[in-house]
Amino acid sequence: MSNKVKVIPCSGIGKVHGLLAREMALKIVNEICPEVSQTECLAYIVTGDQDIRDRIQSGKCITIDGCPKMCAAKSVAQAGGIIAQEFRIVDTLKEYRGAKPGNATALNEEGWKIVDETAEKIAANVKDIYGEE
Amino acid sequence: MEPIKVGVISCSGEDCLGGTISRLAARKILERIRYGESVTICLPLFIAGGEEERGFAEAYPTITVDGCGKYCAKRATEKLSGKVTDVVQVADIIGKETAERTALSSRNLTPEHREMADKVAEEIRIKFDRIVEGNFKK
Repeated sequence: MSNKVKVIPCSGIGKVHGLLAREMALKIVNEICPEVSQTECLAYIVTGDQDIRDRIQSGKCITIDGCPKMCAAKSVAQAGGIIAQEFRIVDTLKEYRGAKPGNATALNEEGWKIVDETAEKIAANVKDIYGEE
Repeated sequence: MEPIKVGVISCSGEDCLGGTISRLAARKILERIRYGESVTICLPLFIAGGEEERGFAEAYPTITVDGCGKYCAKRATEKLSGKVTDVVQVADIIGKETAERTALSSRNLTPEHREMADKVAEEIRIKFDRIVEGNFKK
């Protein structure tokens, strides 16, 4: 089993918050630090299959949730995953007061700026957590 | 006759291109092709939400849109909410090998990827209209 840090976004489909979470996770695992991080499909986690439960329990996780329902964090916890950190997009957006980052289908320039800056911050935590392993 | 709304639930998988395409196609149905006639829910809300969320597939005839052959959206919906009415599997439309490529940021989508999403959305639309025309109502 890989001990890479698992970065699990909610990818919520109804609001821009879910897309922001998804894009941050993809930027972290595909661009910023693919050597120490990976993602897993949240939908697969929701199935509760033993295969994904085993994988999610094999290392630490960071969840990125769009809204206060905390779908990613709750689903990972239910699968037995160890959550090292929970990020909430609603909290991130407080740092960008008045921002209009796009919609659930597409981000605009402002949205991409939020993704790029926040992904760097989360990636720094990913590296710290990986270093603790 | 009372109009019915149809549920569309995508897997939105983060680990393969099929998941990216499933999300794009579902969004296209929701905001353009069948705007106002379709409803959706975030799949993990079946775990994180309450009784109202878990009743989704009982309240609406539902099409699940899965990126790969694991059928996570279909299986999770049927396990936690209710039986689905129809299923669209992205890999059946764009090919298994393509669907299993790395998930893409929407920043890196090409016209080819958008064409894939259009094809999947069209398949959803056909199944959607079949449900409505059959006046299927739970």
